[in-house]
Amino acid sequence: MPTLALPPATEPALLPGFNENVLETARSGEPALLQAKRTAAFEAYTQIQNPEAFHEEYRRLDPKKFKFGSFTRLDIPREAIAYNARPVDEHYDVVISVTPDGIAIEDRADVTGGKVTVQTLQQAALDHTSRIEQHLGTAIRSEEPRKFFELNGAFWNVGFHIHVAKNANLPKGILLRYHNDREGTALLPRLLVTAETGAEFALAEQFTSPDGVSTLCISCREFHLAPNANVKLVSLQDWGNVGIHIGEDWARVQRDAKVDLFSMTLGGVVSKMTVGCNVCEPNASAYLGGLFFADRKQHFDQKTLQFHSAPDTYSNMLYKGAVKDKGYSVYQGIIRALKDCIGVDAYQTNNNLVLDPGSRADSIPSLVIDADELACSHGATMGNLDPEQLYYLRSRGISEPEARRMLVLGFFEEVIERVPFEVMRDRLHEVIEEKLNPFARD
Amino acid sequence: MADLEIKNLHAEIDGISILKGVNLEINKGEVHALMGPNGSGKSTLSSVIMGHPDYEVTEGDIVLDGESILEMDPEERAKAGLFLCFQYPVAVPGVSISNFLKKAMDARHPEGKAPAGPFLKEMRENMAFLEMEPAFANRGLNEGFSGGEKKRMEILQMMMFKPGMVIMDETDSGLDIDALQIVAKGVNKMRGADMGLLVITHYERILTHIAPDRLHILMDGRVVMSGGPELVTKLEEKGYDWVREETAATA
Repeated sequence: MPTLALPPATEPALLPGFNENVLETARSGEPALLQAKRTAAFEAYTQIQNPEAFHEEYRRLDPKKFKFGSFTRLDIPREAIAYNARPVDEHYDVVISVTPDGIAIEDRADVTGGKVTVQTLQQAALDHTSRIEQHLGTAIRSEEPRKFFELNGAFWNVGFHIHVAKNANLPKGILLRYHNDREGTALLPRLLVTAETGAEFALAEQFTSPDGVSTLCISCREFHLAPNANVKLVSLQDWGNVGIHIGEDWARVQRDAKVDLFSMTLGGVVSKMTVGCNVCEPNASAYLGGLFFADRKQHFDQKTLQFHSAPDTYSNMLYKGAVKDKGYSVYQGIIRALKDCIGVDAYQTNNNLVLDPGSRADSIPSLVIDADELACSHGATMGNLDPEQLYYLRSRGISEPEARRMLVLGFFEEVIERVPFEVMRDRLHEVIEEKLNPFARD
Repeated sequence: MADLEIKNLHAEIDGISILKGVNLEINKGEVHALMGPNGSGKSTLSSVIMGHPDYEVTEGDIVLDGESILEMDPEERAKAGLFLCFQYPVAVPGVSISNFLKKAMDARHPEGKAPAGPFLKEMRENMAFLEMEPAFANRGLNEGFSGGEKKRMEILQMMMFKPGMVIMDETDSGLDIDALQIVAKGVNKMRGADMGLLVITHYERILTHIAPDRLHILMDGRVVMSGGPELVTKLEEKGYDWVREETAATA
């Protein structure tokens, strides 16, 4: 049966740079609840084998490329630092900004304090102990042990909790901005999102670093949606040209709730992104949108897991990727419907543009179905731009390079048009255009 | 010298010879119709004039406004004033009509950027003339369009670009009478001293809406007969067999 899980370890399996001593540093001075959570996650982390190139999950991305051992976990000060406003911030109610110097939470629209909570995890563990106790680290399913989910759970160095109360919503939304300019350091951001019944809001996340500065990021985001909640996330991985990224997103979606998780991978040199949803009560639904564009020897690996653990649940996944200039992309996904889950609707589509012969895209969709009476489909396409489309645009006076740009942007538009926040859609267009213009970078 | 001259044009695709010496002359201000049975090379001729990369010209020349266009890319031909109304316009999902038209207008603008205000105004006016809803401009180009919508989209482009020489490749195929009338309305509005038009068609029907000055009959890759509008009626009555007999007799 296809699985993306790593096997259990027979003896404690530690990755270089993430050991007991580092755990002690992370735990020191924290509320008891977080200390206990870190220790439990550390135990789980050591009980899963270290990733190796022979594991199914890593056959197309050798874990050596993560360069464990070359990065030191950043010790991010817990004291708030001054907030530096940027023009795009006006499109959000709350802006969270993280740099190696510290964090700033700016409530621009005065939305927090009542029905909306935006706090560091340390503060939330004190103010909302039972909620954190119940939700932190619990979004994954036990069938799929996740090494990096647990690693982040033990070693995260910046954590936030976002909570929206019953039937409340945010007029604009929340932006989380991470920037790391310290050579040889590891950022481990943790995000815990809880939405009460009927809550509705959107989040945006952005990762940036200067070109030429080697950094590692191991990110983990958890989403818990109570009945009828509606949460959207768009995350833009836009690290500088030598950044390394590992990400785990997990959402647990209850009755009549809907989550949209958009994962956009454009930056860095090596990236491994896993997005999983568990639609666990009738009429729960999830949309997983993905966009990746690997050029100039970038190596991007995308995994999706659509778990259907209740009858009458829905999930739809569309990942679109492009490769050029020796870029390499991998998409691998699983739809899994548990026994007795009748009335499941699940879709998985991965389309790839291979823009030159020196680049490569692999696509491995799959279904694991233990239930009857369901509608599932999966499919993948692979190819270069359609010559007839190119000819049509050129016959209208549009130059070949411009026509190619339009077609690549058009290809991605099916994903981009669903992304929350116009500023994020604009930024995505910009980054893609930069990649298509050989003179804009370097 | 005519504004568009097709001289002894030979062309092939995948080594198969399709055009075997086509001669045609069209001036601005004139409407020519080109008819012929299936497989005579009508659509190939339009593709070769526009510069489709799959076709190879092996002999002859195409001269537009005194200059050979054979070495030009399709985009250069378009900017030189040539416009092809496609028989089967391809869908381009994710590229909106307004974005596409803007890029095509930018390409024609001497400074590379058509001012947005006048562009939008012109687009809206032309769309209204062709009875297209304004919201249509946000749709993906030809994405999920009906046959009639696709052809209207072609005419809309023609009205925006104001080409000097237009080739309509079986624009009437698959159109109901209402859609055909709207297409004809657009063409007749554009018709005038600044535009030459070659209407390639399978049926006489469109020629009752867009009256031609000349009619040419293409058979087996050659223009075998040319005449005035009276030839349309004759062809309708007697069919292509009559043309075959006539040309065999003169050969």
